[in-house]
Amino acid sequence: MTEPYAVPVPRGYRVGVWEVRDPIATGAFGSVYEGRRTGGDLAGTGEELPRTAALKFLPTGTGTPRQLTHLRELIDREVELHRRLKQPRLIRMYDTLTVDDPSRPALDGATVLVLEKAERSLSALLSAAPRLAAGPVLLAQVCEGLAQLHRAGWVHGDLKPANVLLMKDGSARLADFNMAAELEGTHAYTPAFSTPDYTPPELLWSEIGTRGRQIRPSADVWAFGVLAHLVLTDSFPLPGGTPTARRDAAAAYARGTDELRLSPQLPDIWRGIVRDCLSRTHADRVGTDALLRRVTEAAGTDRPPRLPRRRRRSAVIASATAATVAVAALGYGISTWADTGGGTPEVRSSTPTAKVAPATYGSAELRTDQGVPAAYRPMIVDAAHGCDQADVTPALIAAMLKAESNFDPKLSDPGKDEYGIARWTPRLLRWWIRADGQPVRSMPKPPLSVPDSIAGLGHYLCYIEPNLTPDLPGDKRVLIAAAYRTSYKRVNAAHGIPPEYRDYCKRLTQYLKEYTPPGSW
Amino acid sequence: MYSIIVVPPPTTEDQSTRTQLKLAPGERLTFGRSADCDVEIPHKGVSRRAGEITAQGAFWILSNLSGEQTYVVENPEGAGEHMKVGPGRLDAPVPFEFSRIVLPAAGDLLAVEVWAPRHDYLRSEGGLDGATTAPAFSVDRTKRYFAVLAALCEPRLRGAPHAPLPTVDQVVDRLRPNWPAASRTSVQWNIDYLAVKLRLKPGPDEADTGPRLNGKKESLVSLALRFDLVREDDLVVLAASPSGRAVR
Repeated sequence: MTEPYAVPVPRGYRVGVWEVRDPIATGAFGSVYEGRRTGGDLAGTGEELPRTAALKFLPTGTGTPRQLTHLRELIDREVELHRRLKQPRLIRMYDTLTVDDPSRPALDGATVLVLEKAERSLSALLSAAPRLAAGPVLLAQVCEGLAQLHRAGWVHGDLKPANVLLMKDGSARLADFNMAAELEGTHAYTPAFSTPDYTPPELLWSEIGTRGRQIRPSADVWAFGVLAHLVLTDSFPLPGGTPTARRDAAAAYARGTDELRLSPQLPDIWRGIVRDCLSRTHADRVGTDALLRRVTEAAGTDRPPRLPRRRRRSAVIASATAATVAVAALGYGISTWADTGGGTPEVRSSTPTAKVAPATYGSAELRTDQGVPAAYRPMIVDAAHGCDQADVTPALIAAMLKAESNFDPKLSDPGKDEYGIARWTPRLLRWWIRADGQPVRSMPKPPLSVPDSIAGLGHYLCYIEPNLTPDLPGDKRVLIAAAYRTSYKRVNAAHGIPPEYRDYCKRLTQYLKEYTPPGSW
Repeated sequence: MYSIIVVPPPTTEDQSTRTQLKLAPGERLTFGRSADCDVEIPHKGVSRRAGEITAQGAFWILSNLSGEQTYVVENPEGAGEHMKVGPGRLDAPVPFEFSRIVLPAAGDLLAVEVWAPRHDYLRSEGGLDGATTAPAFSVDRTKRYFAVLAALCEPRLRGAPHAPLPTVDQVVDRLRPNWPAASRTSVQWNIDYLAVKLRLKPGPDEADTGPRLNGKKESLVSLALRFDLVREDDLVVLAASPSGRAVR
């Protein structure tokens, strides 16, 4: 907190019923002071006012050094969000005031937001005590705040530790809605500001129209992944000593030239969550509802942390669609999460990333001259990359597709109930299409789609790998493939490849050799 | 997600619209006489594998693969600022936002242009801390493109919010006192570069109108004013300075 205050306000200064006390924080656009109420306890709206509040001063006056047109817009966003949304995990706004004091040109005309006062910010807490024990619980509360925003149709746009506030009781709330935007369809438009370390790669150097830049809720999900990694391991998920280096690492990762290497200190249950937040493309990122379920589970409570019960139903919630049944449940303190209902959007993975030409996609791990159909390469490579088991490689998936069907998506074998490019049995495939382990709603029907078959294969192989007994004789990759043909239990029981699958495995070994580039294995 | 743009020397066919090759951080591009190179420069005086350009974050590095020629990398806006990259020098970092690699080739000088539009510049209100909310673009207020942008924004900044935008010719006239070499082409070039630098999204109405640029100027100005890229006090860059060096 060595930077100068954006808006200096003397101690004891009076604005409305508030007296300015100590400074709390300053940001790029405004400064926050503690305020003590000196007058009546009712706001203009008849709402009860607390004894102390946080006063956020934003320099909007005509006498301020620069007239900032964008500042006006940022404030309007924040005020608008507070007016429309009151949710337990979002910081409250009580009032807005305008300073009328011609004798102080630097303050005259400033906008003051009267906000709920917090104890400190998460960033202050982290710098005092990194890797706090309460980390998982705080993350669950942050995630709840995001879910409340997203379900109401808003995107935060600037999630980071400084914008997570901790209340006196230790609970977390989201704050600072300068960048927040209401969704219009699948997108919202936000001002072109961002915090580099929390910006998803697709927004790093994105196109900007005259309305600002397009942003999706998945941008908040990325930021949450970064935040979770930081809270749990005290390090950023992408390597580099400076924000610029980390930005370049994010760009390289998103282009597929680099892998995501999460900290080994990250507990396993969080590893999967962070990985699904930090997927290369926005389309692959886990949805907020699924994320909240997993985060809540990982935080060690099988229901969301307790919330103050609020009987008031806000207009925004009332107008929301059936997809927000869960939010009502949350707001009313009901905790039935087992049945996810019909409204949860499905999270499917492995939409091929189209940026790189498919014919050379992932050429470092999968040879380009051995007849793997170019159209399937991105799906194969992405499916393997979606799994952090080293043995689940693009070459293994390609070799299995070759051995199962010779890359024939129309394969149909009703006798064995196996279909498609990976010879899936539909009732099994149903459980493996989604990255989060939930079955898809309707039973897949032959002909099975290629993206679903390959994504499902990736997820299933990733599940098999840790279930195989360590130190079985033979190539681990071939053992995984054999377990896909039969089951990992069979392979473990046979202490290797069961005899009846030896021919299959021989062919597979041959293809593996053909598809693996020299030196990469 | 590219950060570097390479514009090869013009060939006879595409004099009007020169190719632009975009490189993302970590991507590399080779140039030389051989057809294996990413950029083929069919000139007898150029080595078969003459050199390599690698995008490295917001800047780029140059390797001189030739046997005996020294390449000069000039900053065309830098009043003679340049660097030399001798034969065999690998991965020399180039600091300029605009660069021209000059290849000496049997009496001719061939120029490969390289732009680095993602260079960052400090904004008065932001620090270097990655945790600070920062605007998505940064401009160098000493560059010509900034003077062009200021000239375009001037009428609206002077208090006429719906004033018509100056034409390219008017911009040329406005800038000539400080930039005697200003021409229609160079101003137009700067407008095109600004659209690249500010990552302007092409509007739906300019999708197939070809070289018409009214929409582009309009979008540039509204973006610049909306995000305060040019403010009233920035208009000093347009004022004629006695030494004539205020704007380079």
